[in-house]
Amino acid sequence: MMVALTACHTQAPEVLTFAVAQAPINLDPRFASDAASERVNRLIYQRLVEFDQASRPTPGLADWHMLTPQHVRIHLKAAPRDFHDGQPLTMHDVKATYQSIIDAVDSPHHSEFSHIARMEVLDAHTLDVHLNRPDPDFAARLIIGILPARRIAAGHDFSHHPLGNGAFRFKAWQQVLVLERIQDGLTVQWLEVKDPNVRVLKLKRGEVDLLQGDLPPELVHYLEAQSEVAVRTTEGANYSYLGLNTQAPFLKDPRVRRAIAHAIDTRSITSQLMVRHSRPATAILPPEHYAGNPQLSPYAYQPALAKQLLKEAGVALPLRIIYKTSTDAQRVRLATVLQAQMLQAGIDLQIKSLDWGTFYADVQSGNFQLYGLTWVGIQTPEIYSKVFGAQQTPPQGLNRGGYQDAVLEPLLAAHDWPAVTERIHTQLPYIPLWYEGQFAAFGKRVQQYLPAADGNWDGLIQVKWVHDHA
Amino acid sequence: MLERVLGLFSVVVGVVMLTFALIHMIPGDPVDVMLGESATLADRDALRSQLGLNQSLTTQFVQYIQLLSQGELGQSLSNHRPIAALILQTYPATLQLACVALGIGLMIGVPLGVLAALYARQWPDVVIMLLSVRIAAMPAFWLGPVLMLVFAVWLGWLPVSGMTQSASIVLPALTLGLGLSAILTRMTRTSVLEVFSEDYMRTARAKGLSQWQCVLTHALPAALLPLITVVGLQMGSLLAGAVITETIFSWNGIGKLLVESIEKRDYPLTQACVLVIAISYVMVNQMTDVLYRVIDPRTRGGA
Repeated sequence: MMVALTACHTQAPEVLTFAVAQAPINLDPRFASDAASERVNRLIYQRLVEFDQASRPTPGLADWHMLTPQHVRIHLKAAPRDFHDGQPLTMHDVKATYQSIIDAVDSPHHSEFSHIARMEVLDAHTLDVHLNRPDPDFAARLIIGILPARRIAAGHDFSHHPLGNGAFRFKAWQQVLVLERIQDGLTVQWLEVKDPNVRVLKLKRGEVDLLQGDLPPELVHYLEAQSEVAVRTTEGANYSYLGLNTQAPFLKDPRVRRAIAHAIDTRSITSQLMVRHSRPATAILPPEHYAGNPQLSPYAYQPALAKQLLKEAGVALPLRIIYKTSTDAQRVRLATVLQAQMLQAGIDLQIKSLDWGTFYADVQSGNFQLYGLTWVGIQTPEIYSKVFGAQQTPPQGLNRGGYQDAVLEPLLAAHDWPAVTERIHTQLPYIPLWYEGQFAAFGKRVQQYLPAADGNWDGLIQVKWVHDHA
Repeated sequence: MLERVLGLFSVVVGVVMLTFALIHMIPGDPVDVMLGESATLADRDALRSQLGLNQSLTTQFVQYIQLLSQGELGQSLSNHRPIAALILQTYPATLQLACVALGIGLMIGVPLGVLAALYARQWPDVVIMLLSVRIAAMPAFWLGPVLMLVFAVWLGWLPVSGMTQSASIVLPALTLGLGLSAILTRMTRTSVLEVFSEDYMRTARAKGLSQWQCVLTHALPAALLPLITVVGLQMGSLLAGAVITETIFSWNGIGKLLVESIEKRDYPLTQACVLVIAISYVMVNQMTDVLYRVIDPRTRGGA
């Protein structure tokens, strides 16, 4: 029986199979909120604005000019690629896309465009946008994929039958999502394989061709040792941190927060327990970002100094802190490492591992002393106002630790990012941990795939596929 | 019959109420999952209102029951697909996996159990019992990857996981079936040994029947009753979705769908999955009862 079964699957498919931990859910860029959907949408749709290496907004489909602080003129670049159904892309499509977001209360982007007073199409290539209030970051918001106006009007189901003008066109989505690269017809399919061990075994066996991220470091090291697999790593930009409840009596004192920072050996963790190119973090935006601060240095692991700071703050040792994290195996493992390191500094870290929904609900409502999370895909420095602004406490904003800093407020208002990051680094409403390195692992038929710093899958646009002629 | 239908109905109503209460009691909110981090409080409230989540739990429950009474399961909050279509897509996969796993369990478990009984307290019995204890103690999240490593990666006989090839079912079914066979081996051994000590077995032997003839024609049919109980319970569990096995092997069954719906706080989908699972469980139990009556005339006397 086994021999017969073997014969069933010896023929190698001429399709690039990409195994992911979580399949995309919604391929309508107006409504997608999960990372996988957003990454696939980048391939199917094109955006007005992109980000350069330093995360500055740069022209994508269009260029823009701020005629006044509340009046933006957007020019479509000459001859954008037609939609996949052959219709040309014009400013009517751009207007229809953004208008439908303004009209859709269930779009996660609704609030970002609620300050648009009106939009006026001057001609097929020019759109005027009038705002209710000045917004210097408006261009950085224009990163939603553009949809065809006629299909929007017809109520087309973009969530399951996407239609854009990106590098890939939609082919099918039953058990797996299948896209086709316009340039050469390369077919790529996304296969959801939840278990990391199974993803690795499938790559080794040749059942999948590409993996990116979402593997514990020991499996990445295992793949690096396999002759039939290539692994490529690069620096990441996603910021992992410890969030503190700065309203808790013993965490109000910055000396206690500094003591916690000195009680964590981020250098050892990033070099020993994480994938290559992981590095200690200093601020939410990495040093290479235009609002990053390369002058900041990570807090050194000094348990003796940490103990001294705690004593100076009048804290009785050991200081017991409850640390909330998800049930993710790697997160729990890192929590135990933090626990062991902090013990040297007189901190008794109590780990509370909760299912994602419960954990996230606790974080959102401020029900924590200490928690660990990662900011993914942050591009604009307005994140500092959102998470540290005095007016941004839940449920209105993301200042979940209740941080109040009269010195920081004018710096945020002035967009003085070097001063903002320095102030945050000394006051530590977040304890910075690391930017985890990004990696991709691929079989022999895949060549020149480059993982991106924010984990996107744009590498598929340029990847080379070696056809199996055997 | 009416009593049975009423019993089924009361179990299903109880399950529906309990699931509704529990899923709404645990922390987390589908609106957060749908809108992500950037949404304002006003947007969240507006969406909550649009989905009817701002209404009292009693109102939501009444609306849900009204929907159910019309034969509707509603729409998934996370992917906006009709729930009935999602269930129809996943339930046959679970059913298929459960049947194959049960087949494997029976094919391995019953013969080994009989063999162990025949050679009770001799070396084949000791070896079989040791093996069955070891296999029963292996969790699916360990046994699954080990089977993948051996049969897919090293020997190259079978696909690692997925549902795209007909051979894909072998490894997940083996993972479930081996665990099941260990239980069936022990159960068969105990039942057959009990029957061996009965007077009619002595008579059969005295008539000159061989040991195997005694087992096949007399002992095994008599030992079937406890076996059917175990098989019925196990089949119910398998239809409830072998969550871990389905997840490891990327088998798109109802167990995987249920877990994902809980993670996303997709209330209507979770409720629908639990409802289907509850009905399956009750139906399997009813079928087990019917099978009892067919096999053992002594159980036909009551209601």
